[in-house]
Amino acid sequence: MAKCTINGKEVEVKDGTTIIQAMSGEKQDWQHGKVAHYCWHPGLSVAGVCRLCMVEIEGNPRVQIACNTVVTEGMKINNTSEKVKDAAKWGLDFHLINHPLDCPICDQAGECGLQDQYMEFGKYTPEMSEKKVKKHKVVDLGPTVVLDSERCILCSRCVRFTEEVSKTNELGIFNRGDHSEIGTHAGMELNNKYSLNTVDICPVGALTSKDFRFKQRVWYLKDAETVCNGCSTGCNVKVYFNKEGMFRVKPVFNKDVNSYWMCDDGRDIYKFVNKESRLLKAKKKTTGGNWEEMFPGAAAKELSSTVKAAGDGLALVVTGQYTNEEYEALFTNLKTKKVFHWVNSPEKHNDFDGLLIRGDKNPNTKGLQAVMQKHGITPGNWADLVAGLQSGNIKTLIVAAPEIAAVYPDIKHRVSEFEKAHNLVWLSSTKSVEVDLLTGNIWQIPMKSFVEKDGTFVNHGGLAQKFKKATTVVSEALNLGEAALLMSGAQIMVKPETSPFVETARPADRVTLENRKKNEFVFKRGTL
Amino acid sequence: METKLLSEFYHIDEYRGLAGYKAKGGYDVLAKALKMAPQAIIDEVKASGLRGRGGAGFSTGTKWSFLPKNNEPRYLLCNADEGEPGTFKDRMMMERAPHQLIEGMIISAFAIGSKKSYIYVRGEYFYAIGVLRKALEEAYAAGLLGKNILGSGFDHDMDVYSGAGAYICGEETGMISSLEGLKGQPKLKPPFPAVQGYLRKPTIVNNVETLAAVIPIIRDGAAAYKKFGTEKSTGTKFFSLSGNVNKPGNYEVPLGYSLKDMIFKLGGGLKPGRKLKAVIPGGSSAPVLTAEEAERATLDYECMAQMGTMLGSGAIIVIDDANCMVDCLGNLTHFYHHESCGQCTPCREGTGWLDKIVHSILSGKGRLADIDLLVKVADNMKGRTICALSDAAALPVLSFVQKFRPEFEYFVREGRSQVTGKTKEAVHGEMHH
Repeated sequence: MAKCTINGKEVEVKDGTTIIQAMSGEKQDWQHGKVAHYCWHPGLSVAGVCRLCMVEIEGNPRVQIACNTVVTEGMKINNTSEKVKDAAKWGLDFHLINHPLDCPICDQAGECGLQDQYMEFGKYTPEMSEKKVKKHKVVDLGPTVVLDSERCILCSRCVRFTEEVSKTNELGIFNRGDHSEIGTHAGMELNNKYSLNTVDICPVGALTSKDFRFKQRVWYLKDAETVCNGCSTGCNVKVYFNKEGMFRVKPVFNKDVNSYWMCDDGRDIYKFVNKESRLLKAKKKTTGGNWEEMFPGAAAKELSSTVKAAGDGLALVVTGQYTNEEYEALFTNLKTKKVFHWVNSPEKHNDFDGLLIRGDKNPNTKGLQAVMQKHGITPGNWADLVAGLQSGNIKTLIVAAPEIAAVYPDIKHRVSEFEKAHNLVWLSSTKSVEVDLLTGNIWQIPMKSFVEKDGTFVNHGGLAQKFKKATTVVSEALNLGEAALLMSGAQIMVKPETSPFVETARPADRVTLENRKKNEFVFKRGTL
Repeated sequence: METKLLSEFYHIDEYRGLAGYKAKGGYDVLAKALKMAPQAIIDEVKASGLRGRGGAGFSTGTKWSFLPKNNEPRYLLCNADEGEPGTFKDRMMMERAPHQLIEGMIISAFAIGSKKSYIYVRGEYFYAIGVLRKALEEAYAAGLLGKNILGSGFDHDMDVYSGAGAYICGEETGMISSLEGLKGQPKLKPPFPAVQGYLRKPTIVNNVETLAAVIPIIRDGAAAYKKFGTEKSTGTKFFSLSGNVNKPGNYEVPLGYSLKDMIFKLGGGLKPGRKLKAVIPGGSSAPVLTAEEAERATLDYECMAQMGTMLGSGAIIVIDDANCMVDCLGNLTHFYHHESCGQCTPCREGTGWLDKIVHSILSGKGRLADIDLLVKVADNMKGRTICALSDAAALPVLSFVQKFRPEFEYFVREGRSQVTGKTKEAVHGEMHH
């Protein structure tokens, strides 16, 4: 341990800690004063090239970089002096002289390191009046990322990421001096399962995600932390959304789970939450073969008699895509010995790519197993289910279907098996073409997606992670527990969720895609 | 008069070959050194006061003693990436006396316990590379390299490595990166090369002239070596004299030699009718001296430091009164703009900015505020980067503007040079695009 003084405050840190680590703290809350920085990233090696994190150390005439200076016993560190402020100001100016300053058309605007640091440490009048260096724009780096070299500040974070984290080594800095540019090595493209992390760590608008760019201005987005439901790793993520839906997913630091990163597949989970892919209303197949739309609560209530009539002929099929709390309510309210665990590609379940991606594409397989064990349920053989459906022993089948059906390649085959049930209840957050085509007595009831409910997922390692509801997309959707309760015949009232986006008095002022297209009108009213 | 401690036999062509070199007592000192204790050699070098001849002037013996005292493999690298504008002494040494360098390196390697060394030669010196390769072959054939050198039990291997012509690879960690097969960019310090250098192993990097100077020190002893030079700048040094002098070339003189004598006696003075205007005393990175300062300067580390400049690599660039100082500075800023590796922001952006400002003045479009801006930009590039290239780019700007400000102001005010009466189109600034 070493004791040092940072901005007059005594701090004790572990041996080998750098000044910037001591100042940022493990939680990145910068308790001891904020240090401007671009190239330093807690999850990457130290590059020491942006030269912005200057601090003054007592006894040293020159300002030093905080990222590569190790704290020693008795060190007195200061980053509030005029000398440091001037160094940061000039450091920023050097970053900006050749920067195109195209914030109005830049996707990073609003969450840009250059904008943030300028407001915090800059606010000077620029003196650069020479021609700026021209570099390549709209460089297609690969399937996911686009590069604008003029915006790039050459902090090398993305290069270090592909060297140290993804270990794919696609990126490099080419050329020399102020004509240096990021690029991919000859014959390569930035194409790996973690490529979009480079966009997250890019402090400026140089690297942008093809999926997200130009979709939304970031100041029109709210965010909320949750747990990724893309696989059994359970990465901590932040989802970004507004009234128009979800737009992107970014990782949140958790040293026990995903560090600072997440995979590119996980970035797509928001697509299964948005209305386009959702089951919006309950549907019942009428005798005429048409789908009749119903309120989800009413449908579930109506089903209670069917469930009761089934008696021993009731069977449940569950998938590892729901929360512990929902499983608990399901098994408490719908009591049957006939429970079947629908497992997708079981042969891949132990696959692991060494970083984050796991073969078990269910976020809560462990949780499901634990709840079943608690209720004394041993899941039945799939063959028994098929035989039961064939013989008519199983009359009513309730399926808690996967939220992300894409990771269930066997869905078509399984659904054709389920079709044999006398009554089939399909609980799902997303719509399913396969189910829509079935014939027989079928109900489809919309479920809440993972961002619309509170709950717990247990990841591959047995770590239970609680998460909170982020927003509401389909306001009438039920969670699995509510559906089970209603189907069991309980007399409860399920209120539709209200949207977190408060309706403004004047509909024209609402931030919608429609009225942003007509932004002329909105700006004239001066309300945005 | 020159004092030819190292260059005594450089005029003999046969001196390049092993036989010719041996005929003049070559490799005798190696035989002597191999019988000494390695620590005794280090102590002798330390006592001699030898300072690095590459530019920084750091005590060689002290540098060697930074190596960790363990059995880890360690490397000796000879820095022959002579890139400092105005410097051409290493080239002559390698071309005229390759065995002198090899002998000095084997002695040094023996002292620090290194079994492998490389000579990193700047890519443009292909002739020197050829000479060195041939000399290495001869040395191997004669048992001066390889296993059990001269029966001493000491093994050592040596190789020549050709750089690709980047100025930045003359910076020792840039050179190490390049030797490792990486992009030639300086490494963050700490760790310093003596602790973690080439292949993350302890490494000593010395200049060609420094390694050669070990020979007379071991041959005659530290006391004899110290007889040359001044108290803090011992021994002799090569100076590469260039610019507006009648007899440019390399001259070996004891440190403390008068700069005026160097120019007017050894260098044969200026062209008829010309007056001395300025002197860059230690390679292009060294702050410029005015004629008045140059006339009282002596060529040693102390005097140069006292005058606010550096002895550097010993490249003396003489500028007479037919030269426009703004134009001269434009030449320098162009060089640093072109050679900045681009790693650290202040240097990457600052070198380009300086170059553009100077060239805007040179094209007759400068503003008076540009002169102060040059100073501000240069000031904020100093001491803010991983290596010294940023300082090297800033120092000439600061000294030129400070010492020749009226010339800059005239250029801005009149839109043409005070000396030549002409402007210069900004071709350099747009070079890369």
